[in-house]
Amino acid sequence: MFRRILKKDLKRKKTMNIIILLFVIMCSMFAAASVNNIIAVTGGIDHFFELSELQDVQITVSDAPEAVEEIKSLPSVSDVKEVHFVEVSKSKSFSVGGKKLDNFINPALFWADDSMAYNFFDTNNNIIKDVEPGWFWCTAPFLENNDMKYGDEVEVTVNDTVVTLKFAGRFKAAGISTESGASPHLLVDRTDYDTLDKASGDNDFFPITLLFLNTSDLQTLKDMAKENANIDVTPRDDMRAVYIYDMITAYIMMVVSIVLMLTAFVVLRFTIMFTISEEFREIGVMKAVGIRNSSIRSLYIVKYFAISVVGAAIGFLCSIPLSNVMLRTASENLVLGNEHSVIMGLLSAVAVVILIVMFCYFCTRKVRKLSPVDAVRNGQTGERFRKKSLMHLGRSKLPATGFMAANDVVSAPRQFSIITVILALGMLMIMLMSTFAVTLKSRDIMWLFDIVDCDATVLDVEYIADFMMDQNKAQDTIDDIEKALAEHGMPGKCGITVGMVKDMQHGASKATVMIETSYGSLEAPTRYDEGTAPAKADEIALTGYAMQDLNAKIGDTVSMTVDDKEYEFIITGKFSSFMNGGHVARVSREFDARSEKANSSMGIQIRYDGDLSDKEIEKNNEELKTILETDKVFGTEELIGWATGMTDTLTAIKLLIIVLTVIVTLMIVILMERSFISKEKGEIALMKAIGISNKSIIGQHTLRFAIVAFIAYLLSLAFLMPVGNAMMNWICRIIGDVQGVKCSIAPIDIFAVCPIAVIGAAVIGAFLTALYTKTIKASDAASIE
Amino acid sequence: MAAVLQAKGLCKTYIINKRQNNVLKNIDLTINEGEMVAVMGPSGSGKSTLLYCVSGMDRATAGEVLFGGKDISKLRDKELSRLRLDEMGFIFQQMYMMKNLTVLDNIILPAVRSKKTSESRKKTEERGRALMHRLGIGEVGGNDINEVSGGQLQRAAICRSMINSPKILFADEPTGSLNRSSSDEVLSELLKLNADGTTVMCVTHDPKVAAKCSRVLYLVDGGVVGEKELGHFSGAENELRDRERALNNWLMEQGW
Repeated sequence: MFRRILKKDLKRKKTMNIIILLFVIMCSMFAAASVNNIIAVTGGIDHFFELSELQDVQITVSDAPEAVEEIKSLPSVSDVKEVHFVEVSKSKSFSVGGKKLDNFINPALFWADDSMAYNFFDTNNNIIKDVEPGWFWCTAPFLENNDMKYGDEVEVTVNDTVVTLKFAGRFKAAGISTESGASPHLLVDRTDYDTLDKASGDNDFFPITLLFLNTSDLQTLKDMAKENANIDVTPRDDMRAVYIYDMITAYIMMVVSIVLMLTAFVVLRFTIMFTISEEFREIGVMKAVGIRNSSIRSLYIVKYFAISVVGAAIGFLCSIPLSNVMLRTASENLVLGNEHSVIMGLLSAVAVVILIVMFCYFCTRKVRKLSPVDAVRNGQTGERFRKKSLMHLGRSKLPATGFMAANDVVSAPRQFSIITVILALGMLMIMLMSTFAVTLKSRDIMWLFDIVDCDATVLDVEYIADFMMDQNKAQDTIDDIEKALAEHGMPGKCGITVGMVKDMQHGASKATVMIETSYGSLEAPTRYDEGTAPAKADEIALTGYAMQDLNAKIGDTVSMTVDDKEYEFIITGKFSSFMNGGHVARVSREFDARSEKANSSMGIQIRYDGDLSDKEIEKNNEELKTILETDKVFGTEELIGWATGMTDTLTAIKLLIIVLTVIVTLMIVILMERSFISKEKGEIALMKAIGISNKSIIGQHTLRFAIVAFIAYLLSLAFLMPVGNAMMNWICRIIGDVQGVKCSIAPIDIFAVCPIAVIGAAVIGAFLTALYTKTIKASDAASIE
Repeated sequence: MAAVLQAKGLCKTYIINKRQNNVLKNIDLTINEGEMVAVMGPSGSGKSTLLYCVSGMDRATAGEVLFGGKDISKLRDKELSRLRLDEMGFIFQQMYMMKNLTVLDNIILPAVRSKKTSESRKKTEERGRALMHRLGIGEVGGNDINEVSGGQLQRAAICRSMINSPKILFADEPTGSLNRSSSDEVLSELLKLNADGTTVMCVTHDPKVAAKCSRVLYLVDGGVVGEKELGHFSGAENELRDRERALNNWLMEQGW
């Protein structure tokens, strides 16, 4: 008999059951795909490192051959692999088909195929043993904006030597960053390498040596690095940071999956509670004839079990292509050993089924409360009703349809609150992704790069190299550019901030910190979280991380050696920074550090005189490219977007969430409106009987979802900034030592795209479903219970 | 007296499981202004269907329904709605009300929707309250519908049906779910309305209700098989007893 009841129920509530099935499919699809994604990425990194036979530590030694020897002679180290590069600092030194490349900023580094310290892989995940003479492999940054195909010829000009190399493909190497801002790495045959090496002579901009080694005493190496600013130690665990964006993406997708699952549970709860309250008579009759609570509950549980098993199976199958899409970027960068974990996918799908069945059992507890008397009394006894009318038609200024819709919402806040929360969550996710994407390319976070607010930044190595090698040239560079700007009728001011990696000491505590100083007529970065900017030669400001490293606080004195002379500085302020992983200090312009070679710079900042519009700035920037003969002139947002490198990923996730939210909104609205229609059939028929038109009824039903969607929109707006700022600071802390970041708003997304997409989907879904009310006749008023 | 409602050759057929079920068969009837007509007949005879077809709540399969001389069977849904809202009133056996509205708001809802008058909402509310006072339920206007008795709810339904001053009032078993005293009260209100000039067409099983009507139609198997003219009821007890006796005899003859 139960089978027959179940069969009938599945047929009778086709729309509701189909929507629940779709939810279960989506749920298990995203759960399986995102679990697989997280396992593949996080587990995949270790797997990739194992396959690569990557050593325990990577040590970067800058221009200090004696340090290399010292490390190699340590008894605790073994399997040392020493790697040297040929450095080609300008992308213009490369040309394809006669056209010079202009696609990367940091110097390109050539590796010889016999000096691969560990295993490199081709796109098919095969280990590259060697490279054919005349051919090269490269990492992703070299291919940025560059549609290179197998066999394409690239000419590399180093001083007067031109070497022609053929493109063999993109290679994967553990620990080498694939972000667009990173240095491109090129792998060539030893003979080609030697030719390039000979041609480049001794002019390396960053003469670095990489050491890959295993060690039984990591601390000794770390201590050496603290003592010597030319040594940078990266343990294998820290190399995982190269894949931070893949991991962040995987975790964001996991959050999306969790929200989807929560949504599915909320929908399921609504459906079960709604069904039980609507079937009070059937349940009462079953109880009256002696059927036990557990048997009645099992009816519902069996039904949802059947739906969830079918849904989970379909969802699991659908998770495979979804997982492929999710892992596309990761698999370009990693050799994933477990791209499709069938077992984990199946376990996720089974977990979804178990959760749903348990949840159903929990939701059906209401069955216990219904008594056989409910069936007899026809629900008219008052027990099923409570005070409902909160608004008064006579006193309301709203049009009748608007009043009825608003009154419906306020009279049944619980059932409408479900959809309000779901829509608010969906909209909040869209807004957050949009806000993060905009913030991470916004001039509002420019201060985190320790540069002043400006209109343009020149990031061409040709200009930067001179003043980095010799800071005395910084002012000359600034003067030259300001003069050129004035001559071309677009006067402006320039500023340069450079960083020098130095050892710093506070009492017994030592740390390697990047010391920043600024030049030019633009003011130095001025934003401080605590205290004030250093104004005198013996004052310094530090980031929180640097203070932690040195065990220091504002007011303490720290010391540093510059040009063989020790200087003492009083800490005057604390600031946030993305630079050098957040380990940064800033000295005043009064302190002369020009004798030091700079290690980093975010280029030359330019601010045009006058109050220019965005278009005028853009036009000036284009002209600046011609004046300075470089394409490496960036607008502010372009520069920040490039530097943070997550904007595109977040925009892609935002689009996915928009699509998902619209689909979920449509499904929930259709499910709820269909449920409401069946519940309100009598009232609809009555309204028709007393002469209220179809148009008004459809309008009322549509309007109440529009009201709910609008309330959800307001809710999501209210939560956007507090949640956004908290999450933004969390994301930024992954990159550096950051606090007090305020999100920027994308007005089009927040005030147009989001409300149009979600409120629009709610209105369309409600309207289309409300058309079903046309099938209810006025005469049904007399025959409905 | 002028005819308010006329049905000519009215047929209604349902197809259930590919079987044709003729619920109304070629019915002709006329209801004149100021009449109170009862429609009686055994269960399944088509009484309610007749009421729904002539009131425009349902569409007849064939035939025409003239309301005020206009064939409503040719009207579009929107026009029919407008007609029901402005010119007709309805009372059902169950006291159907909108659950989310107070009793008063339920009553004034048709007036707020109607474009018949351009009165303010305050004025509409006053009219609603006046109607409630007239029917003796003035004190429950602000109550929810679950806070009042069945009799009060049915009187509220009458108020709702009267709020737009309809030309005709259709009642489908108006006392069917009420106890005797509530039933008498409701019926007395219907008689008062009829006495004030409102035409009433009432489907009922109850000879006591029908005895107070001016005319009784008897339906069997979708056709009007008998018609009994009882004349205007003055309200006197003696007269009621005579009318009940005469009606019962007639009903016996019809096979009741």
